[in-house]
Amino acid sequence: MKKNLLLALMLFARQLFAQTDSLNSDSLLLLQIQNDMKEAAAPPTIQQRIAASANPDISAIGDFRGYYRSYGKHNFDAALHETEFSFQSVVDPYARADFFYSVAEDEKTGEFSGEIEEGYLTTLSLPGHLQLKAGRFKEQMGRINPVHAHALPFIDMPDAYVNFFGEDGFKGDGLSLSWLLPNHSFFQELTVEATNVSEGPSFERSAGNNYLYNAHLKNFWDLTDNATLELGLSGMTGENLMKKITNIGAIDLTYKWKPIRYNTYKSVTFQNELYYSQAALDSSTVNAIGFYSLLNVQIAKRSFLAGRFDYSNNPYSAKFVQESGSLTLGFLATEFQKIEIEGKYTTMNTALAENDNQKKFVSAYLRWIFVIGSHGAHTY
Amino acid sequence: MKSIIKKYLNFKNKVKRNSKIITSICILFSINSAIAGTIHVVTTTQDTKSIAEIIGGTKVELFAIATGYQNPHFVDPKPSYIIKLSNADLYVTLGLDLEAGWSPSLLTSSKNKKIQKGSDGYVDASVGVNLMQVPSSINRAEGDIHVFGNPHYWLDPLNGKIIARNICNGLEKISPENKDYFEANLKTFDAQIDAKIKVWTAAMEGFKGAKIIAYHNEWCYFENRFGLKIVDFMEPKPGIPPSPSQLVKIIKEVKENSIKVIITSPYFTTSSSDVVSKQTGSKTVVLATSVGAFDGIKNYFDLFDYNIKLLSASLK
Repeated sequence: MKKNLLLALMLFARQLFAQTDSLNSDSLLLLQIQNDMKEAAAPPTIQQRIAASANPDISAIGDFRGYYRSYGKHNFDAALHETEFSFQSVVDPYARADFFYSVAEDEKTGEFSGEIEEGYLTTLSLPGHLQLKAGRFKEQMGRINPVHAHALPFIDMPDAYVNFFGEDGFKGDGLSLSWLLPNHSFFQELTVEATNVSEGPSFERSAGNNYLYNAHLKNFWDLTDNATLELGLSGMTGENLMKKITNIGAIDLTYKWKPIRYNTYKSVTFQNELYYSQAALDSSTVNAIGFYSLLNVQIAKRSFLAGRFDYSNNPYSAKFVQESGSLTLGFLATEFQKIEIEGKYTTMNTALAENDNQKKFVSAYLRWIFVIGSHGAHTY
Repeated sequence: MKSIIKKYLNFKNKVKRNSKIITSICILFSINSAIAGTIHVVTTTQDTKSIAEIIGGTKVELFAIATGYQNPHFVDPKPSYIIKLSNADLYVTLGLDLEAGWSPSLLTSSKNKKIQKGSDGYVDASVGVNLMQVPSSINRAEGDIHVFGNPHYWLDPLNGKIIARNICNGLEKISPENKDYFEANLKTFDAQIDAKIKVWTAAMEGFKGAKIIAYHNEWCYFENRFGLKIVDFMEPKPGIPPSPSQLVKIIKEVKENSIKVIITSPYFTTSSSDVVSKQTGSKTVVLATSVGAFDGIKNYFDLFDYNIKLLSASLK
């Protein structure tokens, strides 16, 4: 009897819970219908977010160039000068990686060759406002060396830069440690680097253990809301072509005026860099200097006019003097495309075979830069 | 005996001097710890700063990178901002690639692991916002298209509540002991928005469906909230300055639709809008896109007070 009563109670309880479940499922169905109706009534313009991607930011930058020179048999040409492919992403919570692969044309042979222009890891989590960079990178020296050519407001590189560091600049494989100084009144960053540098006029990749050591102190002030001043001091030492030591000191000074409200319409940049080189040779030491001074004025929302004066010795001859003046007009169609034309007049006191033994000559350049994909922002 | 008394007095004076020094050190430490207790918040814009100010109250010290009259797409990543970012506990970004041209490089240069993307101190204020104009495919031939959708979502005051929620969540993560304080401030903010939205909606009630022209495609959330209808843009495509043929097209549209107002932003010149106004009699109205765009716009509520007042007066 007791057993039957218990069974009856269990059956009743089961039925009761089944009803509750049924009520629950009805309520859920009703809620779903209500939600569906709400969604149907929502404005058609509102859409869901697109799927996230774990791919790095990938971009390709084309640098098409034409040139004219007032010397030589083959003095006019145009070609895809360089194509740069970049892959940039955060690696994990502790670091990010940036790769730049460049395929450039040899002007004489017309053949293309590729190289890792830069490829480095940057830490994101070191304590004490420190950051370490490891890999191949452009050295922190002066204003233009760390910047890729396509982002500069002129086509040819300054004479002093080419004579001291080469057309492609000053880069190497190694380590770079930067420290944000605890100065709250203005920005100060100290970078020290040790690299096995790529071959250039001033330094040679050492066959031994003579690495190139570089230090750069960047100072930055907000003069007003619209004006800034940057002073950079650099010093580097490494093995030169004569297997001796070259020391170079560099100063860069940049003043920028850019009204915050209309910063896409107007700006003026006055930028200067000076290099002082002390190269030990077999029996003597050569003290050489080189500098450039650039005034870049934004004349309309999408147009820039840049004038530059260059003065340079050769790192192995203080008697050699090269001077030039150039004017570049740039038109930025969008952030992803720009066209520039440049005219340049050069004089030098020593005739060089590479310039067809001309001491005075004129050059003209055209550059068309175009970017596809997602390319990381450049520094200020 | 005299020498003993002298020694004792010297000792007493020394103790007194030392206790003064110790007291001073203690005061200094207490001041430092009070400062250390403050949460340093850096926001990318003035709007998120204004909201964070309300939610964070006395517990936060704030700095906004972009000014209120600056185009948030094109802020120069000045190294001076890095000083603020290097000491920040919380970084608030509007996200959706709005600040893609400057925010990532500043964050990397800050050398501050607390505020890197993915850290507790990184707040994406757009999380949970119902996005508009999300492209189904990306084609730059259409101009500056935003991959994740139109990023000007803070111009809908109801999205301000979502921004506030995200900031509150961020603050609670890094300062859980103040959770109740932040939640109470959030409740106050939400209540203020709920009260103000009624006032703003009522003020714009008579202009539902009013056709307007905008300079740049940055008003869709505002348009949607207040029932306006943006017929066309001065820019032929986002980010491309007005061309003569576009101006001809706009003049025709303004005349055909009897459009009274062209809205633009503080950081665009009004030269092309003025041409259209001169040809058609329509008004060029410079609305505020952010807190601080004009004098008197001190907070997120002022931003809508200003825009609603100006726009409703212009549409009459």
